[in-house]
Amino acid sequence: MPIAWATAWRTWQMTRRAYPWTYAVGTVLPAALTIALAHLGFHVIGGGAVGDDFAAGSGTTAYLAYIVVGTTAFHFAVRLILWSAKALITEQRQGTLGALLIAPAGRLPYLLGFTGFAVLSSVLEFLTLGLVVAALGITVPVSSVPGALLGALALIAAVFALSVGLGGLMIAAGEAHISQNTVFIMLGLVGGFTFPRDYLPEPVRWFAELLPTTSAMDVLHGSFTGGQSLPELLPRLAVCAALTCAHLFLGLTCLPRAEARAVERTY
Amino acid sequence: MTMTTAIEVRGLRKDFPVREKGILGPRTLKRAVDGLDLDIPRGRVTGLLGLNGAGKTTTIKILATLLRPSAGTVRIDGLDAVADARAVRRRINLIAGGERMVYTRMTGRENLWYFGQLYDVPKADLRRRTGELLDLVGLSGAADTMVERYSRGMTQRLAIARGLVNRPDYLLLDEPTLGLDAPIARDLRRVVADLAAHDGTGVLLTSHYLAEVEELCGHVYVISAGRHLAQGSPAELKAATGSHRTVRLTVTDPTERTRAAADAFGATRETLPDGGELITLRHPGDMAGPLTAAVFEAGGSIGGLEIAEASLEDAILTLAERGEAGLAGPGSGRPDATTIRPGAATAPPEAATAPPEAATVPPGAGTAPSEAAAAGVKGGTP
Amino acid sequence: MNPLRHSLRVFAAETLKQHRRLFGQPLVVFSMLVWPVLQLATTYYTLRPVATASRAAENWPLAADPDRLLAFLATGTLAYAFFFSLVQSAWHLSFERTTGTLELLFLSPAGRLTLMIANGAGALLQNAWLLTCFTVAALTGFGTLSVSAWWMYGIVLLALLIPAVAWGAFLNSLLVFSRDSAFLYTILDEPLWFVSGVRLPHFALPAAVQVVGAVFPLTGSLLAVRGALLEHRTASELAPTLLGLGALSALLLVAAALILRVGEARARRTGALSLV
Repeated sequence: MPIAWATAWRTWQMTRRAYPWTYAVGTVLPAALTIALAHLGFHVIGGGAVGDDFAAGSGTTAYLAYIVVGTTAFHFAVRLILWSAKALITEQRQGTLGALLIAPAGRLPYLLGFTGFAVLSSVLEFLTLGLVVAALGITVPVSSVPGALLGALALIAAVFALSVGLGGLMIAAGEAHISQNTVFIMLGLVGGFTFPRDYLPEPVRWFAELLPTTSAMDVLHGSFTGGQSLPELLPRLAVCAALTCAHLFLGLTCLPRAEARAVERTY
Repeated sequence: MTMTTAIEVRGLRKDFPVREKGILGPRTLKRAVDGLDLDIPRGRVTGLLGLNGAGKTTTIKILATLLRPSAGTVRIDGLDAVADARAVRRRINLIAGGERMVYTRMTGRENLWYFGQLYDVPKADLRRRTGELLDLVGLSGAADTMVERYSRGMTQRLAIARGLVNRPDYLLLDEPTLGLDAPIARDLRRVVADLAAHDGTGVLLTSHYLAEVEELCGHVYVISAGRHLAQGSPAELKAATGSHRTVRLTVTDPTERTRAAADAFGATRETLPDGGELITLRHPGDMAGPLTAAVFEAGGSIGGLEIAEASLEDAILTLAERGEAGLAGPGSGRPDATTIRPGAATAPPEAATAPPEAATVPPGAGTAPSEAAAAGVKGGTP
Repeated sequence: MNPLRHSLRVFAAETLKQHRRLFGQPLVVFSMLVWPVLQLATTYYTLRPVATASRAAENWPLAADPDRLLAFLATGTLAYAFFFSLVQSAWHLSFERTTGTLELLFLSPAGRLTLMIANGAGALLQNAWLLTCFTVAALTGFGTLSVSAWWMYGIVLLALLIPAVAWGAFLNSLLVFSRDSAFLYTILDEPLWFVSGVRLPHFALPAAVQVVGAVFPLTGSLLAVRGALLEHRTASELAPTLLGLGALSALLLVAAALILRVGEARARRTGALSLV
């Protein structure tokens, strides 16, 4: 994996020199505010309780813990996408895409290196969220530690798989703003992050099933507030793995075409 | 206060506060412009030359009201550039080369319309002028195309049209041909010369292309480290700097005697790969004849002879070197001593042979000095 | 040269320029309509569990049923879109620092405050009209509107427009002279909805947050809009809020003019477009 290592090291060096801290604040702060919003709503409006339909859909009444898990996972996913999917278009904007494309290196290790770095830096950033959660006095139950770890891994893999295709789309279209924000907002709505998917209309729920992040979130919610054990979580993990592979395969198949398109568009 | 139709700059000084380290470091003042006097009359192209960091762009930005002088006055047709900034802005415009300076998500015509509104150009005038300007810069065919689809050269031409949209009485040109294709740069020079000659526009031009300055400017100010170094027409500047006419003589069979003959003139020698020798002599006078005769008499065979006419570039480099030496010395104060008075030296006669640089010099540059002299330069000390 | 006529020309030109700059983007309809609506849905579903709790009705009668919660959030989304489009517009304007066109604006004799106000107004007209139509249609369709008089709609529009334009002029002036506009953009995006009561009623916010929120004109705009559209308030009932909004708007415009004056004077002295 020398290419993955080289990419991660290069990114670390670049970031160390000019840490995009407004960028980091821009992803951690929304998560903190969403948790604070739920906290206020739960206590001031709900009077410390939630409606019955929430328990029916989520399998828990621990609304705040559910929100903490979902919000953290969502904004973590957003941060990963910002790093991984935008890796190639950032190279394009800096004018280094050409140099990358003519190098005899595969794109998968390059992107893995990028994501490896992104996971590391994002974990550090999101640890600050723990302070917010502690300050608000929210406790998050864990029913299955291995399930939670596997769920987190599954989410990272799922986001990576989505990012490969999205990154290709971005360089082919030469545009990141519209595509990335549309993906974020759609994920937040359909992905089962901050509310049970039962609230959504039937066709939307089926569409959500096509995204590997949805099953990863089921595993995460299940292993924290859902009270599920590892064997109960395995079927959803398997679904997530299968969808992740499918998305990754699709993304890697389309990437060379997107790269060709990007080069044609700029020359 | 006397009403004059010119930009009059007196004792201009500009200090920039700079911090040595970080945003909390100690603040010092960096003097970018130091006691400049300039006169930029209507109907003439005035050059402002200097080495990099000489303070040219700072000076231009002060004249454009973008910067406020630390000391000294700038009057434009009698209006003060600081107190009457808004009235001054109506009369001037600035074209800086090498930068994009137009809106890419608008068409060329829309860009001109937009800036026309900012300058309050009367509606009917603006419509007519937009057409004329687009014609002038050769963008009529692309007038309704988004600028983001323009080539670099087209964008720069639009930026030039923008600078003319308010029909400025005074046009400030900061490296306007930087990065322009040769034919477009030539067209721009033609436009500038025309604006000064026919419309009576007062133009101030800075440029790295000295041939361009030589071609266009009736009067040139040379500055170094923000200070006045010299002024005069290009011909006067060249004459006064001792006109480095260069003679290059190739000897095919050099001997001790030919070498001694060359050395007697103080020429430099360089052995050529074919065994011959290149003798180079830089001298104010016309030394081609005597040098050739001496080498020939010493038994040398002449393989070739080139005579390079003095260029403005040589003059500026000499001035800059002299100026730096002079400014470095204690108590040298204002370098008025280097100001060239008309008639202090006669302009060198045109060289008989074409200068070897001719290939890199735009057409017309060879005759520029005489043209400039004919433009009626008052020159001399202010 | 009539100064007022010149100002009007500058206003029109700058508004149109901003429109062309923003509208040239492909699929701009996403940021205008699709994103706010999807975001609204996410917020609605996230808050629904607390609004359907058994004690919610006594704590917060306005949003006691899901439709009314949606109407509450929709008005919040609309007002937020108005104000945030101005944050975006200021962000765009700050790019003109690097492209060199900002210098051209300062080179021209056009009034600086006029440019800043017009730039914001351009962004507003550009961004908010579609969402306005959508929200009005949706609210009418849901039957959750409760308006005391027809002309209250006019008051709603003014209570949104005037503070938003003043806010835009203020932000434009601030961002033109700030080195790190990315930072301002970040802190004015998410925290803005939180402190202004976009997604929660003001009484639910801690006192400290309410104080911070009072600084932003969005807070007052929301009180007026929701009062007029959802709570059947009359103009006289809303008068204190509206007066406060007017005062805040005037203050923002004065601040904008001051920033421009100080900023430009500084730029002319130091050659750098920054306030500090």
